[in-house]
Amino acid sequence: MAFIYRDFINETSYKLAFFMELLGIFFSVLSFFFLSKLFGKAVIPHLKPYGGNYFSFVLIGIAFSSYLQVSLHTFARSIRSAQTTGTLEALLVTQTGIPTIIVSSSLYSFIRTSLRVVAYLLLGLFLFGVNMKGANIFAATLILALTIITFSSIGIISASFIMVTKRGEPLTWIFTTISWLIGGVIYPISILPDWLQKFSYLLPITYSLEGMRLALLRGFSTNALLPHILALALFAVVLLPLSIGLFGYGVKRAKIEGSLTHY
Amino acid sequence: MPYAIETVNISKTFNQVKGYRDIVLHPFRKKRIIALKDINIQVNKGELFCLLGPNGAGKTTLIKILASLILPDKGKAYINGYDVVKDWKHAKKLIGYIVNDERSFYWRLTGRQNLNFFAILNNLPSSKAQRRINEVIDLTGLRGVADKMFKDYSTGMKQRLAIARGLITDPQILLMDEPTKSLDPLTAQNLRKFIKKKLVGKDKKTVFLATHNLAEAEELCDRIAIINHGKIKACGTLAEIRALLGIRKRYFIELKNITDSLVNKLKDLPSVDKVLCKQFDPSLNNQLKLEITIDENGDISKVIEYIISSGGRVLSCCPHKPPLIEIFSQILKR
Repeated sequence: MAFIYRDFINETSYKLAFFMELLGIFFSVLSFFFLSKLFGKAVIPHLKPYGGNYFSFVLIGIAFSSYLQVSLHTFARSIRSAQTTGTLEALLVTQTGIPTIIVSSSLYSFIRTSLRVVAYLLLGLFLFGVNMKGANIFAATLILALTIITFSSIGIISASFIMVTKRGEPLTWIFTTISWLIGGVIYPISILPDWLQKFSYLLPITYSLEGMRLALLRGFSTNALLPHILALALFAVVLLPLSIGLFGYGVKRAKIEGSLTHY
Repeated sequence: MPYAIETVNISKTFNQVKGYRDIVLHPFRKKRIIALKDINIQVNKGELFCLLGPNGAGKTTLIKILASLILPDKGKAYINGYDVVKDWKHAKKLIGYIVNDERSFYWRLTGRQNLNFFAILNNLPSSKAQRRINEVIDLTGLRGVADKMFKDYSTGMKQRLAIARGLITDPQILLMDEPTKSLDPLTAQNLRKFIKKKLVGKDKKTVFLATHNLAEAEELCDRIAIINHGKIKACGTLAEIRALLGIRKRYFIELKNITDSLVNKLKDLPSVDKVLCKQFDPSLNNQLKLEITIDENGDISKVIEYIISSGGRVLSCCPHKPPLIEIFSQILKR
């Protein structure tokens, strides 16, 4: 809670940035709404599994890919921010362990992202006519939780690099770029060549977005979404312990090198 | 009873950052800097102990090892008997770390909000935290500005808030890294008084203070360790360090009725090292002020006896204690 309060006070003290972010969400949704008008009432076979409407498809993609962004970046950014502002040393001297500090430093970002997602969905529902009747909220929540764990693990691995190298970690750039390209964020992966689609299924975001769309737009049952849920669970089970181990190693390396507070 | 702070053969080296040329031509060569070598220090409870050394001597590295921010390559460090590496959780409960870095706060939070945040991170229960925050705010004279944003604080206020944060858990041991570095002389003097009289004198805390300010070390510390190039050159009270160096005893003696030949004879006395004439006033019966240096085993009373038996009159005799700067210079030359 202390971290959430700290970050809330910090963020809201920059008043202009705060309001501009709210406006940014609105204009982003508006842009895609007008883009979807290009398709009109045409039946697009690639969109049929998701209800046929491009705007609904892309809204889910844009909204929930925010979690990809925040999960991948927030841990590394928290560390880098603490290094550059000089607060990391003061944090590390306290009785709170490093993993708690890093995870807690990221909580506000997740809360803010959740509010952004809610804003996206509410705008879509009430202003732009997105239909989510019969949505399977339970399955969507489960998929979201597994998504956050999986992407956060990748984010923590990225933070491990930052602890040692201070800059230039390659993981988040690669993951973000590839996920946007072949993860089904703004177009269905069925559009991609067959050989490229195989790579899509190696990415957790593919299962995450597909599962989310089927749960919210088509109301698929939890049983029907089991393949997506299990795939995400497998990613989480492998990546989470790996990330914790790597992060511990990163911290130890930084302490040995005496570079915890360097940037 | 364990020492408040103890280090046993602490050593630390750092890799020097290589340039692109070295990375290409000598990819496997490692350049290492010795930051600390075989540091052995014991600090008693309730002591004000100074680590004195020039910039780059290794003071901050040692303090950071004690605060569990850096892992030593070799050796052990203990806070009240707890190993700072293996038992860091216990060790951290006992220390308050005061660093002279205004960047270590959140500039858009108020002083009180900053203290509250760090109090929670130090596991202080909420009710106790509020009470303690008010206490340290009063203690450090920040009551009038506690609810202002940190970014609006003066340098002195920022440093006082750093001290408030270090005291928030009422720790037994305080680690201070150059606490008066960026303060004006008056504020620095007040802070030194506060450390000596309140924290150590009244509250019986142990203070481990790193500084390069000789006057500060001389004024404050019960014991001093002089460090240079990562090695402890001398450790003890000022008197012990003086004795260790075999610093010659010097005396200023004011004399009357003394002739040149007597002054020359003084130089030949067995225990007298040097005789310098500091002042001469022929209008006052050849009143003279001499600086006499005798060796470690010499006794000034013998010199005075000789002067009197030779017809001279001793008006005063004052021992000269070499200041810390002199001791410091000699030690660094070793």
